[in-house]
Amino acid sequence: MALADKSIRREAAVPFVLKLLAIMALILLLAPVVVVILAGLNSGDHLTFPPKGLSLRWVIAFFQSDAFLPAYLFSLVLAVVTMIISTILGTSIALFLARTEFRGKQMVRAFFMAPLMLPGIVLGLALYLFYLSSGLGLVRTMPGLVIGHVLVTCPYVIGTVNAALVGFDTTLEEAARSLGAKPLKTFRAITLPVISPGIIAGSVFSFIVSFGQFDVSLFLTPPDSNPLPIALYSSLRYTFEPTAAAAGIFAIFLVVVSMLITAKLTNLRQLANVNFS
Amino acid sequence: MSAFLQRIGKPGRGALLAAPGVFFFAIFFVVPLVSLFLLSLDKPSIGNASVQWMFDFRNFERFFGRALYYEAAIRSAGLAALVSAITLVLGYPLAFLIAKTTNVRRNTTLMILVLCAMQLDMVIRLFGLMVLMGDVGIINEFLRWIGIIGDEPLPLMYNFTGVVVGLVQFSLPFMVLSLVGVIQGINPSLEEAARSLGARRWQTFWKITVPMSMPGILAGLLLVFAISFSSYVVPTLMGGWKVVVLPIHIFQQVAELGKWQFGAAIAVVMFAISFLVMLIYQRAAAQASGGRI
Repeated sequence: MALADKSIRREAAVPFVLKLLAIMALILLLAPVVVVILAGLNSGDHLTFPPKGLSLRWVIAFFQSDAFLPAYLFSLVLAVVTMIISTILGTSIALFLARTEFRGKQMVRAFFMAPLMLPGIVLGLALYLFYLSSGLGLVRTMPGLVIGHVLVTCPYVIGTVNAALVGFDTTLEEAARSLGAKPLKTFRAITLPVISPGIIAGSVFSFIVSFGQFDVSLFLTPPDSNPLPIALYSSLRYTFEPTAAAAGIFAIFLVVVSMLITAKLTNLRQLANVNFS
Repeated sequence: MSAFLQRIGKPGRGALLAAPGVFFFAIFFVVPLVSLFLLSLDKPSIGNASVQWMFDFRNFERFFGRALYYEAAIRSAGLAALVSAITLVLGYPLAFLIAKTTNVRRNTTLMILVLCAMQLDMVIRLFGLMVLMGDVGIINEFLRWIGIIGDEPLPLMYNFTGVVVGLVQFSLPFMVLSLVGVIQGINPSLEEAARSLGARRWQTFWKITVPMSMPGILAGLLLVFAISFSSYVVPTLMGGWKVVVLPIHIFQQVAELGKWQFGAAIAVVMFAISFLVMLIYQRAAAQASGGRI
């Protein structure tokens, strides 16, 4: 028994070379993030090696910046609006997909997931062209930008809500209905509690994807107000402003909080499969 | 219609539920993409973005007739393939490590780290990478400080290397996330059986674990290819305009030259390459699963 125990323990151990590569991968993933935080909190004019010291000078500069603070706030509003619309559209599509059977359902599902596989710049260009030629007045406007963001965030909501609906027993709803509950009441009392973790995870994802979206925004951004990624990009082309890094710190904060919320609510492994189903 | 409604049965509001979504996707996804296709087949007309219904293949002839453009297509695809391979080599071990971490807290922490890295705005991550990899960046300064290099900095950025590192950083989380679930799903008794039959740890890894995770490997490769193939921001910032890929051409044709039809044609070529890779993936996936898909 002791022998078997030992062999199982050894089995679970990860070979050294793999561990080394995994640590390299983690460093590659996280080093840039750490550097942004250090650059935003350093006291010199730019981040050097060895670092000089810590200060809040660039954080204060961010709050006084007329480029990054408005961009941050604009991105925040954009992400919230996108999140609300995506959540409503995505949830209804997921509910539809979960409870209807028809031929070609997989195709329909793949269709709603398609914006994830389409290059963002191609989608942005297609929308830009459409706005220009349709005369709907959406060219480089906030609503036009929101539409682009909803297209790329909706699949996340569909995925997470769909995952929450797997194994949902529809006879519960039928029972509620047969006991005289109205459709809306049934939805609120039976369906919503089951799918709300999925809905919240989906909204958090759509918020954060919209907040960090660059490719789709490129052709759709209003001329007078930039989302944060576009504003950062314009400044990064010429210089490394520590003020931009300070803006980055606040973005990192948003992402970490969002991911902690999702981790609390859902099985993270389930989320991993959402993107690709 | 009533037959359709009957077929969807008891929760009959099914079709109504989907209506806003279908409507939204039809107008803002299908119509724009179809017009993009039509425009790519239209007669070139500078500054004109609407379809004139004058079909010819001039845009595509120009694309495939000029080295500047078709070489960019080859460069883009080659770059994406290279990035996919490197990402697999780095991403598989990390996914393996996460999958084999049974401690719930540590497992969750690793997953959250990967997810945060994935969800953070790429431009912010590029800021970090550029501060690390520039000529007077942290890596070069560090190497100078410990005396490995002299005044001449290592050329890490504003070249092909920079773009590759940036794209691997960008796509690594996607690879890891498409592998973790698959590796975790492998029945551990298979690995134990191989071990008890005398296979060494590496033998077990190569003969059991890797083949069993093939669906995840293929899905990860496809995804990484697709996202690194279509990235605009990484090649522009990390390549310093020296590594010209298809998205850069699209942007230049449209935003700087007003050649909408040609820009649309490049977008269609990108779309076609992505689609081709997807087909290859499906064949490979079908083979990996023994034709069960």
